[in-house]
Formats: sequence, structure tokens, C-alpha cells
Amino acid sequence: MVAHAEIRVVHLGGSKINFREPVITNDSRFLLCASGESVKVYSSSSEECVHDLQGHTDLVSGIVRNPSNHLQVYSCSADGTVRLWDFTDGILIKTFIIGYPIYSIYVSENHGGVVFVVVPMANDKSSELFQLVAVHLPLSGDQEVEARELSAVLCDVSPSGAASFGRKGEYIAAVKGLQLEVFFFKNQKSHRFFLKPGNKKGAKNAFTCVSCHPKEDCIATGHEDGKIRLWRNFNQKKEYTYSTLHWHHGAVNTLQFTPEGTNLLSGGIESVLVQWHYTQENQKDFLPRLGGAITHIAVSPDGSLFCTSHSDNKITIIQSCVKVSAIIQGLVKGEGVRTDLTIDPRSKALVLNGKPGHLQFYSLHRDKLLYNLDIVQQEYIHEEGLDQFEVVKAAFDTRGDWLATVEERTQKGSELEINLKLWAYDEQTQSFMLNTTVTAPHEDQIIAMCFSPSPEITMLVTISFDGHFKAWLLADHSDTKEGASWSCDFVGGYHHLKPGCCCFSADGSLLAVGFQEVVTVWSPSWELLTTLSQPPGAIRELCFGRLSCSKYLLGTSTKNQLCCWNLLTCSLEWSTPVDVSLLQADPLSENMAAFCSQSGCSDLFVFKPGEPRPLYSQKALCTGKVQRAVFAPRDQMLESCEEHAQWLNRSQLYFLTQHMDLMTFSTKTEEDRLLASSKLLMVDDSVAVTPFYLLLGKHRQQQEALTNPMAERIQLPQGSIAIKELLYTPAHVLPSASFLCSMFVRSLLISSSSASEEKEPVEEEMESEEEDSEGEAELRDARQDLGGSAAWGPGEELGAPALTKAQERELRRVKHFDHSWLSSVLEC
Amino acid sequence: MAADGGSFSLGLPCVFSPKSRQYLALCAQDGRLRIWNTDIKTLNQEYVPSAHLSATCTCISWGPCRKAKEGPQRKKRKSEAGQVENQVDLLALGTAAGSVIIYSTVKGALHCTLVRSGIHSGVVNCVQWHPEDCLLYSGSDDTHIVEWDLQTGKARCKWKADRAPVTSLCVSPDGKLLLSAGHTIKMWDLETKDVYRKFTGHSTAVTTLRFATTRPPDSNGLYFLSGAAHDRLLSVWQVREDGKDKNSVVSFNLTDEPHHIDLFTSNSKEEALRLAVVCKDGQLHLFEHFLNGPCKKPLSPLCTVQMTGVEDSPIPVPLLAAALTTDTHSLLLAYGNHLQPVMERVEVNTAERHVCLTRDVHTTLSLTMETTVSKVKTPVVNAKSKVVVPGLPGHQAPVKGALGSEKRKSTDMSIEERLGKIEMSSEKGVKGAPSLQTDNFAVLLVQGLESKDANILNKVFQTRKDMLIKKTVARVPLPAVLPLVEEITKRMQGAVLMVRWLKAVLMQHTSYLASLPDLVFQLGVLYHMIESRVKMFHKLTKLHGKLYLLMTQVRLSSCSKIVNLSQMYYLIASEISSVITYSREELLDIKAITTYQHYDQEYVFPEGNPLFGPPPWTWDLIPVAYCRRGRLAAYWSDSDPLLPSILLAKGQTLDNKVDEIRARVAF
Repeated sequence: MVAHAEIRVVHLGGSKINFREPVITNDSRFLLCASGESVKVYSSSSEECVHDLQGHTDLVSGIVRNPSNHLQVYSCSADGTVRLWDFTDGILIKTFIIGYPIYSIYVSENHGGVVFVVVPMANDKSSELFQLVAVHLPLSGDQEVEARELSAVLCDVSPSGAASFGRKGEYIAAVKGLQLEVFFFKNQKSHRFFLKPGNKKGAKNAFTCVSCHPKEDCIATGHEDGKIRLWRNFNQKKEYTYSTLHWHHGAVNTLQFTPEGTNLLSGGIESVLVQWHYTQENQKDFLPRLGGAITHIAVSPDGSLFCTSHSDNKITIIQSCVKVSAIIQGLVKGEGVRTDLTIDPRSKALVLNGKPGHLQFYSLHRDKLLYNLDIVQQEYIHEEGLDQFEVVKAAFDTRGDWLATVEERTQKGSELEINLKLWAYDEQTQSFMLNTTVTAPHEDQIIAMCFSPSPEITMLVTISFDGHFKAWLLADHSDTKEGASWSCDFVGGYHHLKPGCCCFSADGSLLAVGFQEVVTVWSPSWELLTTLSQPPGAIRELCFGRLSCSKYLLGTSTKNQLCCWNLLTCSLEWSTPVDVSLLQADPLSENMAAFCSQSGCSDLFVFKPGEPRPLYSQKALCTGKVQRAVFAPRDQMLESCEEHAQWLNRSQLYFLTQHMDLMTFSTKTEEDRLLASSKLLMVDDSVAVTPFYLLLGKHRQQQEALTNPMAERIQLPQGSIAIKELLYTPAHVLPSASFLCSMFVRSLLISSSSASEEKEPVEEEMESEEEDSEGEAELRDARQDLGGSAAWGPGEELGAPALTKAQERELRRVKHFDHSWLSSVLEC
Repeated sequence: MAADGGSFSLGLPCVFSPKSRQYLALCAQDGRLRIWNTDIKTLNQEYVPSAHLSATCTCISWGPCRKAKEGPQRKKRKSEAGQVENQVDLLALGTAAGSVIIYSTVKGALHCTLVRSGIHSGVVNCVQWHPEDCLLYSGSDDTHIVEWDLQTGKARCKWKADRAPVTSLCVSPDGKLLLSAGHTIKMWDLETKDVYRKFTGHSTAVTTLRFATTRPPDSNGLYFLSGAAHDRLLSVWQVREDGKDKNSVVSFNLTDEPHHIDLFTSNSKEEALRLAVVCKDGQLHLFEHFLNGPCKKPLSPLCTVQMTGVEDSPIPVPLLAAALTTDTHSLLLAYGNHLQPVMERVEVNTAERHVCLTRDVHTTLSLTMETTVSKVKTPVVNAKSKVVVPGLPGHQAPVKGALGSEKRKSTDMSIEERLGKIEMSSEKGVKGAPSLQTDNFAVLLVQGLESKDANILNKVFQTRKDMLIKKTVARVPLPAVLPLVEEITKRMQGAVLMVRWLKAVLMQHTSYLASLPDLVFQLGVLYHMIESRVKMFHKLTKLHGKLYLLMTQVRLSSCSKIVNLSQMYYLIASEISSVITYSREELLDIKAITTYQHYDQEYVFPEGNPLFGPPPWTWDLIPVAYCRRGRLAAYWSDSDPLLPSILLAKGQTLDNKVDEIRARVAF
């Protein structure tokens, strides 16, 4: 196949932002977090992404502040490099090549020029053992530096964030499994402390996290059973002590001391931020309802801002443990996308299941989560092992007036609970309103559902494992006072076979339901029109052709078949042996996209049902199977003349990979258009920010106004011949100093008075000119306006090639000015 | 032209961000700048300028889109991050004190202030960005225009533009020309700062200037439009080669002075100018016009959009701003008050001259104006929504008999005929010499069915004596049987006990019912209901058994009266442990008991019913101490909660379950 250079598969955000601990900058204005292969800089007040630091070629696995420069951060990545960034301007300063994949990074103020990174023990990447090594960063002016000076500090550490520097960087503590290891840099010794596995009373002693007190010798460790241990006196091997704090009922995910060490913050699955007072250990404060298990906590260096990462791909910014001030939310990825990807016809947002019990609306244009819509409306309990309602299916009708959701709760051994909810979009209140709840719409799980695209009737079809499909109709009870509500209109089945998929034709006149190997085609009055089948293999997906191809029905089967039936002749038109994992029709054109999985890779074919050749094909799209895909209509049609890029003109294809990355296709024309529409805007932001500056600035301006004209005036005489003459003449032939001095002073005065004398007639002249030419513009040099303050140089005005009136006047004045000065000097 | 040279009633500044209209910047009466997100329709940011009350913000202008910082052009890798739509960032604000502020929405903070020893001595009336360069123009009451260089933050040039205050500015799309409005409208060449053209202008202060086309000025195709205070016309001016362009060429009719204008410039002669004007009276007018030379008559709008509230006597809701989209049918509107505007994308059918939209702006109003940080929206769930549970009509497809077309044959009698029949039947009743009461009941029932009087029917159906029911049903005349069945079906959907009545009807009138042609249709609902109840019966009996067990347990414990604290604790502990270890189904059952116990008086299982057969009792539950949740909770709150919070949470879910169970059992 030809590689199409014009179409690129691009990664469209939605990366994990909760992978590693975020970093708050010294001034608390920015928040940095690792997001896939880049580092994102967010503004902590506006939640907007300010910069995207791109440069790493693999997953970024850690960020730390540069202790020696508060405007820089280090980031490490699995690509084996540590990079130094200037985050205010988003510039890559240096790249240090380590050579091994790095899993986390630590720094300490007391270890200048050294970063501590976690790398695999053995050279092979499959190794499960990791070690902490110190890397001496060479001082070099080059952009890329090789840093090969590694020295092992600790062996066998956990790869992610389970180490912490102690007071003044004297020691480092790391935990793994049931062992706490403290390494003292002074005597290069390490102490190890072990805990018993302890299965009594349900105690699980395994360590989960560690944090060292910044001012005292105290190490806090978190454990799987929710206990926090505070270790003291650990520089002796035997006489160490620890005290225990216990509030969490699940594992303690993260611990963090505040910079002054007065408080200890902890978080776990309960989604409650607990603040322990260090001196009074039984006192604690809570910040509950943070909405997701806490995975990391970060504190700003001044202790005023906390931020917590949550398991639902969210970062919460908290102001001094009282108020949640901002939430940065990425695409929520739970255990999987259970609903299909759908496009809300109203907001054009991508809709899929988000937080438990919610539907998330994600803006594709801005790569930003808009909001989560609470479907289940029940309290979510943050605890492991509970079965709670989840949104599993969602569908919009063509105009976006109706939303159907299916929520279900499964439990091992017991019966399934399903609710089908139908939401109407209420224009008056601008929100969805629950219209009908159907409890237990089917006796088994609902496999799929779709709205009829027909404009006349509002109908929903659900298919279920119980062997039936049901058609729900919006019935108008205009006779009673209650409004329209949904009720079942038809229950269909076919020989007690389990249905697998359903699809409406573009005009809503036909419904195709696949029952195992048989495709049944139904009319709106529920007559079984025809059955089609192409054994072997059960039908996996069905898709009607659109527009000019609406006579075709496409189906994919489990036995690697892609079939196309002609509905006019009720016969098979063509079939090919491909393993299609996903078939998607573009709602705005005839095109169909088929994702095929082949030997661990996914390929894409775009074709029209009626034509034998594919319009576009791309091999090895991504590794693994494509999970979900959707065509999103474009706002503006692209005008691409390239033949194989035309299928992207009306709508854009998005897909989710196995690793839940949202990808899309981007064409060259589109990128060019985006580039053309934007330009770099550099606006100086160093001007007057505080009232204090305003005061000071005014003072300084006045000073400038005082000093600057003097400097200018003095410059003029220095350069002139008269002065030279004056200076080089022997003193005894000169007139008396008093005479000279008075004359010198007068000469300085004359210049300004002559200028002002000069100015007035000119202005008058201009005024009269204006009157003559009836309101022609009067231009005045801004410099005169301010009485000669040097707010800007006159050179800018003179720089223009064409001479404006103002410039002419300026020239004239300068001429005049010089002349008077010369004459006055020569007079003597 | 206002002779006093003072401030003009320009209205409160309200601007959509360019291109994708992601934000609406609005400066309300309280002097604060608020930025609303039009996607989510929530407050995004709020900024209080220093001295916001004395130096109120008079004008707002969005800067051009910010470009993502491009480093040296790297070779684009496959599956590299795609480009997202560019973000808008900077916002220029002019204040009443004569200063110009630049605010950054990305940083959520003041970017810089362009006050340099008070360059403007009067109110800043207008700020405009240069489309290409880092330049900003501001026009003020002090009759001057200042050109700011934003790279240095300093004024580059300042010139007197007019003898009257400069009320409006506009930079041409190519960035070469500048329009200013004072006494007259002047077009400046930005390179030389010379007047290029002059136009007559309006008699009042010009509030709006916009370029309507993007064509070069010497092609006779450059048009711009202007609107003025107290002027109900928008004028279009043509920049002509020959310079004979003192007067306006086209004018648009409005209902009031224009407040907010949005337009799509036409790039060629074939492309129409699209214009949306929001007037002071809160109406929106849409225009479409091909700009091609003069047009004598003022043009009337293609479509007018108004908004009203949902009150009984509708009050108009003022529109604040409108933005056109590339799609010709949809508009982005902002309406309501300035403090809490509502934003909406609407599809407007431009074929209609007048469109009136009804919106409820009061329910969305809230007193707290905090930025919504939770990112969760809750859709409306109210009592109006219908719940369809198995057994109720609507859950299963209606049964359509083969003779469905002939349905209701027997009920198509006139009232007269029916009355006659009733009389006949009542006579029959008398003949049989029954007890008086039964007769009364039968008559009452028939009357009730005829008149659909709920009172009568309630009175009749309240009876529980089997004999009485049997006799009453036996005396009901045949034509009234079907209405009776319907009534019973209807009542069974609620939580009324009608089993005895149904049984009696089926026993007495089976032959009649069987003779009906549309039997399947008539009894379909009843059939579905019974079927689903039979399915549920097993679970209910199980629940009943457990309930019974618990009740006896409680009775025992209350008799013995040795409920000291330790025992109480044991009880609770066992309850809790049961709660934790039971499977959810059982847990659900136990919980149901705790609230269901006052129901058990009314809830009668149809034990001896021939329809159902003997109940399969289950006694498989270990004895669990019964404890009402109320007591449990009270106990917990009294003592220090030694119990982890999870148990409280459990209690909560159980509480939720109760409602569910009630709904399930309620029929």
C-alpha cells in the first residue's frame, strides 16, 4: 500500500494526567504534570493548559523542581533521558542522556548537581528489579549531554514514587513490600527494617508509600491496611520506635508532609484528604468528597496550595486544605469504555461513560472535558469490592432531543439489575430531563440499542441476551394531563436465538437485527420482511449503507467475513475474508470505515459499499485492537483535493486504542488551515502588575523624565565642534570662568525656550491649515505631548521611509535648534 | 454628535471570543469582568480590576488566537500529538479612567496594564486589536487615538483624531486601515497615519463600526457599517475609488439602537453579508444582503428573534449578544441578565419572519456565583417522569388479538341503552331476593362504574368480606363486567388490593369473558401483570419469611427486657456483620424489613389463592437480631464512632435500597 504522507494518525490528548505526582511551582502559579509523552503546564488559577512541553519520546515518568533554580524543572522518561525545562516559556534547556529507562526521579537541595533516578537492575528491560542510582549531571554548555556517571544508592526499590529524602538530604528512605530501607549519605550505610506479614486481625503490613519529615528525623510510612506508622530513632538498628495512626480503612495510597512539617497529609481510596497534626497526633482534619480515590498528593513549597491526583484522571487544587479551588480533569478512563463512542448532536461533544454512574461529555475541538452528566444519581461509595450502578449504554437520537441510557449492576450469583432511562432535552431549562424510567426492560443484559433516524416517529430499539428485541415508542397521552412517555411497542425474536446487533437504515424504514448467523430485516409495522444469512459465523456487526449506497447492508461475522447484501435483490453482493473488528459508517457520506486486526496490529480500510476498491487504507495503525471508533461531523467542510483524503472532508474519524488513547486522522490541509489561523502573539507582561509597582513606577518615571532630557541635551554639545574648540583652547586665552559658566547655563536654557517658541507658531500654522483643509487631521508628535519624556525613542518616528508632516516639522526644528546653538556658542 | 462630550450610554460590554466562540466576556453592573464558557454554560473566571467601581470597564476586545509555541520545526512523527484548535488568550479592557488593561484568560490573571502616566485623559471608548501585528488601538473621550506596541507595552503613536470624542474604532481585516468615529467617520491609513477618507457619519455618537467586506479599498468593494446611539438604522458605507462616498449606500432597519453586532464578512460579490444585531430592546435581527452598490430603501430583517419567560404573563427576556456560526441555521445566543447570562446554541428557522423562544431563566439563577469546580451536571429528575416496572402497561408490548380491529364492540353502546340494561339487571337482582346490602353494593358498583365516581368505587372496593364480594360480583349485569375488569386492572396497578375482586369476577363471569371477541386485548394488561407478579412471588415470600423471623426475634427480646449496653452492642455488631457478609440480595431483604414493618398490616400475600398455590416458605436465614435503623443511628451518634465510617455508608445504601424495594413491592 502507498503510504499517504498527507494523512497522519495523530494522538489527540486524553492522556493520563494522574500517572505521577504533579508539581506545583514556587510561586504557586503553575502546576506541572506528566501526561503521556509530554509534560503539561497548567495555570493553577484558570485550569487552562499554558504550555505543553514536548520532547520526550516515551512515557514521562516523573517531574521534580530544580532545587537550584525555581524556574526550572527536571523530567524523566522511559526513553532514558532526563530533561531540564524552563516552564514559564516552555523551553527545553538541556537533555541528559542516561541510557536506561527511568521510572522515577528524586532531587534534594543538599545534593547539588545530582539527580537520583530509578532504573532497572539488569540491563534487559524485562527485569522486575529496580535500583536507585545517583546521576552526576555534567556541567556543559551543550544541549545534549551524556550523563554516564552513575553510582548505585539503593538496590531493590519499587519503581514508582516510594522513596523520600529526609532532613537536609542526610538520608533517603525507600519502601518495598515489607521492608523499609534508610540510606545515610554521611556514612554510606543503610538500615533495613522489616515488618511481619501479619495476617492476624486482617492486618496487612505491606508498605505502600513513604514520606520524610523535612525538619525532624521522622519517617511516615503508609500501609495496605490503612495504618500510618511514624518511625523515629531509626539511625540505630535496634532501638527504633514507631507510633501508629489509623483512620483509613483501605490502603494508604500516598503521604506527604507539608514543607514546614507541621502537618501530614494522607489519602486513599476513600477520596478523603486527611490532614494529621504532627505534634498532636490524635487531631486531624478532613476534606471529604473529592470524588475519586486519591493517588498522589503534592504541596506547594510555601504550603499554601495542595493538589491531589485522583484515579479518575483528575487533579484537584485545594487552597490550604479548606476549599477546592480548581479541578483539572482529563478524559475519564475507568476499567473500559462500556458505552459506544457517540456524538451529542447538540454540543458536538464526544459522549462516553465517565465517572462511575456518569456520562462524560468531551470536547474534541478543544481536547477538554466539558462535564460529567450524573445519570444514576446515587451516592457512590468509595470502597473496593462493592457493586454499584454503572452506565453501560447510551444513545442519542438524530436531533439530540432524546438520550437513552442503560445502567446496570451485576453481582456474582445474584440477579442483574437494569434500568433504561429516557431523557428528554428540555429547551426551557437547557438541560436533560428524565422522562421515563423502565426498570428491568429485559431479563438479561442489553447488548445494544439504537434510535430510529426516521423524523416521523421517535423509537428506540433495544436488544438483549434474553433473545428478544424490544421497540420502545414515545406515546403521546394528550388526553391525560401527563405528557408523553415511553412504552413498549413490540417484542420480537427469531427462533429463540440470541441477537447480537441491530441497525436502522438511514431513513428509518428498515431495521436489521442479527440473530447469530441470521440477519432479520423488519419493517416499521413489525413484519419480518426477509432473512439473510451467510454461514458460518455469527453476525458481529451490521451497517446500512447511506445516500447512494442505501441499497446495501453490510455485516461482519465472527468467522472473518465481511459481507455486503443487496437489499433490492435480497442476495449477497460480495464478501471478502477479512477479520473486521469494527465497522463504522460515516453519517454524512457513503463511506464506511472498517478496522481489521491482523497479527497484533490494526489496519484501516475506508470504502464505499458499491465500489470494489477501497478509498483509503492504512496498515499498522496502532498496536492491538481498536476498541471503539466514531465519525464526528466537522463544523466546516474541508476542501481537500487529494483523492484519498477526501473521505475526511465532511467528518473526522476518532478511535480508541487498546491502551485507551484517543487517536484521530489529520490531513495536511487541515493542519495548514490551523497554522494559518493563528499567529504568535508576544505581549510583554512585565508591565505594572501591583499597585505598589504603580507607585514606584510613577516615581521612577518621574526620575527618568528628570534625568533623560538632561542626558540628551548634554550629548549634543559634546559632539559639536564649538565644545571641542572650547575644551582644547588653553585656559589663559579663555574669558573668565564666571562669564563662561553663565553663558553655558544660558545656552542650555536657550535650547528649550527656542524649541517651545518654535513649536507654538508651528502649531498655529497647523491649526490654520486644518481650518483651511476643513478638518484635516492634525498630527502631533507624541514626544511634545509629554514634554519630552523619553517614553519612546524618536528614532521610531524617523525610521519611516516616507516623510510625514510631523517628521518634516521635526527636521525643521532640529535644523533650527542646531543653528541657534552654534550661533550662541560662536558668539562668544 | 453629543455636544457635551461626556460619556455615552454604550451599554455594558459583552463580547464573544473570536473563531470558535468558546467564551463570552462580560462586564456587569458590579464592575467585575466575568468570562463564561459557552460550551458548558458556566462561569469560567471572574476578575475584579483594581478600582473597578471608579474606573469601570467601558470596552472589551478579544485578542487574536494564541498560537501553540512551535519550536524549531521537528520532523513530525507518526502518532504525535495532534493540533487542537488554538486557544484564545488575551483580552484588552478600556476603563473609564483612561487606562487600558490586558487580561490573560489562560493565566487567569492580569497580564499587563498599559497605563503610562495616563496617556488618555478621558474615558476609553473603544479598544481594537490589530489583526496581524502586536498592536492595539484605543480611542478615548480626549479626542485622541493611541497606537500601543504590546511587545514593549508602550504607546507607539498618539494623534488627535477629531474635535469630538472618539467613540468607536475598527481595524480593517488586512490591518492597513483604521476607522474612527467622532464628529465624522474617518478612515486612516495606518502606515502614514493620514486620513484616507471621510464619511458624514451619524447625528448621534457612533457606537459601532465594523468592516463588512475583506476586499481591498481601491476595488470599489470595500464596505463597512456603522450604528449610532438612539439611531434605529445601521448604515453601510462604500469606499469608492472616485472618493464620492460621503453618504451611506445601504441601511438596515432596526427596532432600537444596536447593542451588539456580529457579522460574517463577505469575501466576494457572490457571498452575502450575514449580520446579527441585538438591539437595546433585547430583540435580535438577522440580515442577509449582497453588498453591491447603493440601495434606496432601508432593508428590513430577514428574521427577528425574541425571548420570553415561562410565567403566566410572559415577560420578555432580553438578549444580550448573539453570534453567528458557520452553519447558517444555528446561532449562539446569550440572554438573561448581565450577572448571570444564559448561553445557548439554537437552531433558528430563518424562513419565519418572527421567532419567539420560551426560556425559563429563573430556575437556572442562583445566588452563589462561584465558579463551578465540580464539573458535574445533574439533569432534572422530577415527579413528572414516569416509572415503568414489569407488570405495568408499557413494559411489555400490548397484546394484539387477531380480532383487534373489532375491539370495543360491546362497549360502544350509548348511555341510554346502558341505563336501560342497568335497570333491567337491577330488577333481576330484586327478583332473586338477596340481602339488601349486596344489592346496594351491586347497584353502587354499577353506578360508580358508569359515572367513574372514585368515591363510590372506593367505598365498594373497600369491602373485604369474601361472601359479599362474591355476591356483588354475581349481581353485576353482564355489560358492566368489562368496565369492572378494566377498573380492577387499573386499581391493581396502584397498590390497592383487588385480588379478591378479580378472583370473584373470574369465577363468576368466565363464560361471558370467554365469549368476548377481543378477549386477548381486554385482558392483555391483566395477563402481563399477573405473569410478572408470579415471577416476583418467590422473592417476596422469601422476604416475608425473613421478616417474620426478625419480628419474632424482636418480640422475644423486648419481652425479656434485658437490653443492657453490651447486649445492645452485640446486637448491633451481629446486624452489622450480617450486613457485611450477606450477599446483596439478602442484605436488600433485611433492609426492606426495617422500613417495611409498618406495611405488613396491609400487605397481604394472596395465600390461599388458587392462582398462586401454597407459598414456598424459606427458613434458611440464621437468626439475626432485628434493630431499627433509627435506633442504630441514634446509638452510633451517642457514642464515639468506634465503628469505621464504612458502616454508616452501608446504612445509607440500605436506605436507598428501601425506596427501590418499596417501588417493587408496591403493586
